[in-house]
Amino acid sequence: MKRLGIVSLLGLLVAHGAFAQQPGETVPSVIVAPVGKVQVRAGSSATVDLDFRIGSEFHVNSNKPKSELLIPTTLRLDAADPIKIVAVNYPAGEDMSFPFAPTEKLSVYSGDFTITTVIKASTKATNGTYPVSGELHFQACDRSACYPPKSIPVKFEVTVWNH
Amino acid sequence: MKRNALVFAALLIAIVAMIATGKYITRFRHQGAASLVGDVRGVPAPDFELASLDGRKVKLSDYRGKAVLLNFWATWCSPCKVEMPWFVDLQKKYGNDGLVVLGVAMDDSDTPKIAQFASEMGVNYPVLLGTDKVSEQYGNVQFLPTTFYIDREGRIIGKGTGLLGRGEIEENVQKALASRVAGVHKADATGTAPSPAQAQTAAQ
Repeated sequence: MKRLGIVSLLGLLVAHGAFAQQPGETVPSVIVAPVGKVQVRAGSSATVDLDFRIGSEFHVNSNKPKSELLIPTTLRLDAADPIKIVAVNYPAGEDMSFPFAPTEKLSVYSGDFTITTVIKASTKATNGTYPVSGELHFQACDRSACYPPKSIPVKFEVTVWNH
Repeated sequence: MKRNALVFAALLIAIVAMIATGKYITRFRHQGAASLVGDVRGVPAPDFELASLDGRKVKLSDYRGKAVLLNFWATWCSPCKVEMPWFVDLQKKYGNDGLVVLGVAMDDSDTPKIAQFASEMGVNYPVLLGTDKVSEQYGNVQFLPTTFYIDREGRIIGKGTGLLGRGEIEENVQKALASRVAGVHKADATGTAPSPAQAQTAAQ
């Protein structure tokens, strides 16, 4: 009886999963890896690496695409006092040609890429954990089509200590 | 044993109900937000009214009697740039036979930027400013370029997503041109469509 219930429950889950998906919705995915513990002393700065993964078959423009018409990948981060975003450093893009423009090189990110940010806690910061949030804006293409620009949320927490 | 069978039957019913609900939701979503999904051949092309680069209001139904190549594109879409010179050639080659290429720009960019881009690409056909509504009407255009081929009676005869070969595009254009409006001879099949001169103006 118990076994029957478990099998049936699995059946339900499989059936629900299969039919909840929309057919033909293969859209590019960009995901951000969870950010580990970020700790910074009051008055100091820290580097935070944000790791992103682009779904296979897709690429996004780098932060410095070769044409002003192309939409660059950008990261916007907001932090409230006592945290400040000091710098956002993008990796260099990879120059690649695609079947749709074999003679043209585009500056793109594909696979995994990391954006390095530098944060700073003010000297008057009190002990505590402070949120930083924002979004990565990108526009993806595959080998024959492009997809509308999209943004995904990015967030992490910064723990400040002040002795 | 009897109890087991009852439980099993109840679960089976639940599974069937869930599948049916999923299918219903899928169909509802498709009908509500995007009616043009799957095989769209033979489906009447949804009419729309969009602004052209020169501020005119252009309706698809203005071109009834013409074969229409309806191309969704954007300035940020590199594959779209590859097709545009082909569309320019096709417009020249088949314009007198009744082909009208309509470009629908799905940019968020401002109109002058789109106009400059179209001018640099030598576009000789009307460029219209796309909207979310027209995207929804045409099945939530997710991929660019996406092109619909519409016959002289306003029916969709083909759809291409992503960059296609020029040969395939021209083949679809020829199919669209081959259609005839019922009761109208080729020479008369111009409907109320703007003249090629007007179309040219719209692209400038």
